[in-house]
Amino acid sequence: MSAQPVEQTTTPVLELRDLAVHFGGVKAVDGISMKLMPGLIYGIIGPNGSGKSTLIGAITRLTRMTRGELLFDGASYEHVPPSRLAQLRVTRTFQTVRLLPDLNVRANIQIGADARTTSEQKAGRRPSWFERLRGPAASPGVADAIRRTRLEGFESYYPSEMSYGTQRRVEIARALAMDPRLLLLDEPTAGMNQSERAEISGLLRDLREEGLTQLLVEHDVQMMLDTCDYVFAMNSGQLIAEGEPDEVVRNPAVQEAYLGKKWGKDA
Amino acid sequence: MMSFYDSHLVLFQATFTGLILALSIQVPLRMGVFSFAGAGSYGIGAYLAAILVIKQDASAFVAIGAAMLATAVIGLLLGLLIFKLNGLYLAMATVAFDLIIGVIAINGGKTTGGSTGLYGVITDFTMSQLFTITLIALVLVALSEVGRTGRRVDAVRDDPELASSMGISLRRYRLTAFVVSGALGGLAGSMNVLVRSAIGPLDIGFGLIVLGLTMIVVGGSRSWKGAVIGAVIFTWLPDVLTAIGAWQELVYGIVVALAAVFLPRGIYGVLVDLNKGLQRRSRERHDPPPAAAEEAAGDVDPTTGDVRELALNEEAVP
Repeated sequence: MSAQPVEQTTTPVLELRDLAVHFGGVKAVDGISMKLMPGLIYGIIGPNGSGKSTLIGAITRLTRMTRGELLFDGASYEHVPPSRLAQLRVTRTFQTVRLLPDLNVRANIQIGADARTTSEQKAGRRPSWFERLRGPAASPGVADAIRRTRLEGFESYYPSEMSYGTQRRVEIARALAMDPRLLLLDEPTAGMNQSERAEISGLLRDLREEGLTQLLVEHDVQMMLDTCDYVFAMNSGQLIAEGEPDEVVRNPAVQEAYLGKKWGKDA
Repeated sequence: MMSFYDSHLVLFQATFTGLILALSIQVPLRMGVFSFAGAGSYGIGAYLAAILVIKQDASAFVAIGAAMLATAVIGLLLGLLIFKLNGLYLAMATVAFDLIIGVIAINGGKTTGGSTGLYGVITDFTMSQLFTITLIALVLVALSEVGRTGRRVDAVRDDPELASSMGISLRRYRLTAFVVSGALGGLAGSMNVLVRSAIGPLDIGFGLIVLGLTMIVVGGSRSWKGAVIGAVIFTWLPDVLTAIGAWQELVYGIVVALAAVFLPRGIYGVLVDLNKGLQRRSRERHDPPPAAAEEAAGDVDPTTGDVRELALNEEAVP
């Protein structure tokens, strides 16, 4: 397996040690260890049911883990409640679109900005109860996220008035409005056409240049090849390969997992 | 000759106290907490205020303040006990709480006046004070529907998992729902006993749950405006229906049933949907959707570019 493209002396942003999630006798995730170094895009591929989304759920503490350790910036966080992860600036998108139907695009994105630590709080000034109730009047993070995801003009639209692909971009914008340090994306381009996928890929690469660490679950291999620096392949809850994207895609174990043993032997 | 206001003073009073009762059930529902404990808090608030006025000669504001404080604390304790329950189980637990309050009222001996209740709760509490307190409570509830708090309440109700991932503590919001519900229930009950000067077991109990729930189901459960609409309709409708004599119960029932079937989001929900429709039409007329992005996001096959495709066509790998 290839070495990661960053010196191992740097503290990983995220480290998983022997992570397992079992549902009764079903081992959805079983003994996964991985390190995500700062400022890189990591990908996870694997057939349906291989445990990718469960792994994201465990990392974000929304899915209860059976065993293992989770470390963010070298500090263990497996006992931190999921709502506290926003303070660590860890955020995610979901496999299916999860927008609030009664809020328009701007308000949906604002929820991400609400979770952001305000500059006043960073400076030590405690906001008044009224400020806390109302939230920031206009977050620059929201306008920036709208611009970056090309949602200008959609601000007053409700989720039911937009196409699936546009709704997915709103989800990404909401995550960006949190100003994350670690962004977990669960099939972010599902429902998008090729040009939109290329656009999102370009956006993620831009974010990498700004130092954002990302973990991407995708089926679109071209997207993985174009976007990721390092890829993990999963099957039946376990890692079966990791390394440079093109190496992992060519890996016989990976191809076998997707296409079955017979195809693997014939190939 | 009496003016309309004087002859309907009791209905005006009932509208305000009914509105606060409806809010005590609506606030937790808006956070996705199916709690009817507000009705039980109404009973506690009413009896506590009556006891303080009769036995301690407390002023109206002291009685109201003590009732709200006590019911808020009881709401917190109840919340700590049952906040992990959800849906019907939570609803049943809170209905049981309400019924227990009724049983205590009947069996409370001299303290609660037993089955006859307490009479002679006389203070200098005025209609304008009732109106002002109701208005303040309404403004505070309305503030919780806007800005960051409003968005977060929506998230907690519609998608708890998403809310958690956005840094929202579900536990804190659910407990807050119990506390606010308790305080509002206590406020409604204490103000009601102060304007009516009497309270008995028949004034509390299951009927209050039905009344409060009917107000917000028909009026609209997502906003204080729905509670206002419901409180006005169901306080004044029985009075209007007295004109049809013995048929009034039947007509009342039909109105509620029709509203539940045809207005699932209540009257206010219909108004909101109408407003959204008008906004959409206006936008389409003056400001068509951003074409480039929306056209690009047509229906596409999410599996395009799957690893299977690539594995079969190795030329695609650089």
